[in-house]
Amino acid sequence: MRKTLWHVGLSTAVVLLMSTSAYAQIATQPITATAVVGARGRITLTGTINFPDTDPFTNPTINGAGLTVQALARVAVGAGVSLTVQAGGNFVSPGGDAIPIGNLTWGTAGDTGFNATGTMSSAAAQPVGNWTGPGAHNATQTYTLVNDWAYAPGNYSVTLTYTLTSP
Amino acid sequence: MRIALVSSAVILLAVVAIEAQRGTAVLLVNLPAQARISLSATSVTFPDADPTTTPLVASVPVDITISVRARVQPNGQVTLTVQSTDDLRSGVTVLPPSLITWTVTGSGFAGGILSRSAPQLVGRWTGSGVRIGTQNYRFENRWTHPTGIYSATLVYTLASP
Repeated sequence: MRKTLWHVGLSTAVVLLMSTSAYAQIATQPITATAVVGARGRITLTGTINFPDTDPFTNPTINGAGLTVQALARVAVGAGVSLTVQAGGNFVSPGGDAIPIGNLTWGTAGDTGFNATGTMSSAAAQPVGNWTGPGAHNATQTYTLVNDWAYAPGNYSVTLTYTLTSP
Repeated sequence: MRIALVSSAVILLAVVAIEAQRGTAVLLVNLPAQARISLSATSVTFPDADPTTTPLVASVPVDITISVRARVQPNGQVTLTVQSTDDLRSGVTVLPPSLITWTVTGSGFAGGILSRSAPQLVGRWTGSGVRIGTQNYRFENRWTHPTGIYSATLVYTLASP
């Protein structure tokens, strides 16, 4: 009799050990994610502007190769963005001869916001494009130089400075 | 005659002592299902960077160590998900949470893209156990993002249906 009772007690204990709940267990944990987006600007110019020697009689104007312009601006919503260009002076040769910088003009094809045309100046920055808010803007500028018989022979050069601003 | 009686008494005493050592015991142990998740960080930050040179910004800290502890039925499924409670918000300006993605290390862990509309899988396992892995967040850095400091709450959920 005593041996039988001992076996029953052990079986009962085994059943209780296997009893587990079947309901879903949920644990949650929150974290905070923060992204800092600061104001930034970048101008990328690709290409060179060269005007080959040509006969002014047959070519009263000379077109240079296209200059790719990319203006990148990260600003606040509604903030104005402007791109300008200004020459450092007139075209000047090593011999001291000069070509008026106003003889240099350009045409633009590309994203909305670029001015279609412009005339170079050394006295004041000239508008190239205007936008509102952040964005990336791309266009190709084609410069044109008046080919005048009055030019003295020589190799002329000038520096053009592009400026991207957001007031 | 006296000697015979003494011998009989000795035998009887020995039988009683052996029977007193037997007994029964019942062991009761309650093991309910449980789940616990631990994260090595309570926040992650994506610092400002130039989108041209850094199109994907790594978080600080770089890795989050995740520890998942679950006690379930032998074939019970254990899942870990994460969901953003809102868009990335800076005042009234928002960015979609899908700009944040992650990669992982560790068995059972999965990479993904953050969402506000539905929880995204971070890990899945079968049965009870302790699982440890790491999660590495990235933020898609664009020139078209308006400036600001954007934040959102990410909720990790560990479940065993």
